[in-house]
Amino acid sequence: MAQGDNPHDLDEAEFRATVHSFEFWFEAVEGYLHGRPYGVSPGLQDIELSERQRQGLIMTLCNYCVGETAALDASSGMIGFAPDRGAKIFLATQVVDEGRHLEVLLHRMKQLGVADPDAEIAQRANRSLLKFKDRLLDFVDARDWEASVFAQNVILECLEFTVFRHHAGTADPVTAEMLRGIVSDERRHMGFGENDLGRRLLTAPHTHDRLCKIKRELDSLVLDTFAETMGELGIEHDDRPDLAGDYLAAVARLGFGA
Amino acid sequence: MMTDPLELPSGGRRPRLFFDLEETGFNEVPKRFRRFYRRWRGAGDKLGPNEALCPVCKVVIRSTKELRAGDRVYCMPCMSRLELVEEEGMLIAKVIY
Repeated sequence: MAQGDNPHDLDEAEFRATVHSFEFWFEAVEGYLHGRPYGVSPGLQDIELSERQRQGLIMTLCNYCVGETAALDASSGMIGFAPDRGAKIFLATQVVDEGRHLEVLLHRMKQLGVADPDAEIAQRANRSLLKFKDRLLDFVDARDWEASVFAQNVILECLEFTVFRHHAGTADPVTAEMLRGIVSDERRHMGFGENDLGRRLLTAPHTHDRLCKIKRELDSLVLDTFAETMGELGIEHDDRPDLAGDYLAAVARLGFGA
Repeated sequence: MMTDPLELPSGGRRPRLFFDLEETGFNEVPKRFRRFYRRWRGAGDKLGPNEALCPVCKVVIRSTKELRAGDRVYCMPCMSRLELVEEEGMLIAKVIY
């Protein structure tokens, strides 16, 4: 093994500088996106969906677009008040990821026969998710770093990570491969949020109470969105992924109880 | 798997096992780091003595040496720093902020 290739030998500062860099991002995304236009291998055949399945998938993709647009708007706005250069650079990579997610989701909707995705999204968007988006953008407009990171990189990313991962396991092959590429990006976004906030809470414990109120306010929106999405995908109650295993575990690690 | 001949038993502890890592198809980090991670294969999957499951992003972190309580490892796919702790006889990874 070449010297310096063992990531566990890095000191903390080196590790953080490495993973928050564009260099790291380029080489990471190359692994799972290179040669896959719109996130999908060229030879992968689409299967025929029933009309009910097609409509359900379009509805779900519309809501994924709302979530990704929220993250695109929020992460680009957050660069302006990010607390350090590393966070700004990382967020710049996140903006690119979110823009790509939106593009591949819109492309998939067109493949499914949606002529005007914007009109479809406006008509089908989940109300709870739209409210969540508004609250997230309020935090960004107020240049409130802790609340923005919490709402976007912990709550929203955790929700997306759980839903997309589960959906990728049950979706048609084209949608599944596209979603797996998005999940790989979500790992970075979610981890950045939890780790940034975790460090911040250690040095500013008073932030905890404020974020606890925000969590209480947003919890119902997140859980409603989750339940609706699972319903649109036709997933029965007993077969639904354990959102508690991801979202509630993440917020519990940060010291926020259920 | 091999035992490091330079690491002699002390205090009754057996020496750590050492491992040669090979790529497993994990492609979410730069090439030079890929052998240090693998995908979790679900309920039937088992962690090796040199592996830990990242609680944040559910990727398996791999080390060239057997992991023990107190060791620190990094999960590059989600950028987390983790410490191995023993709880109820099991070794688990906890995030250190």
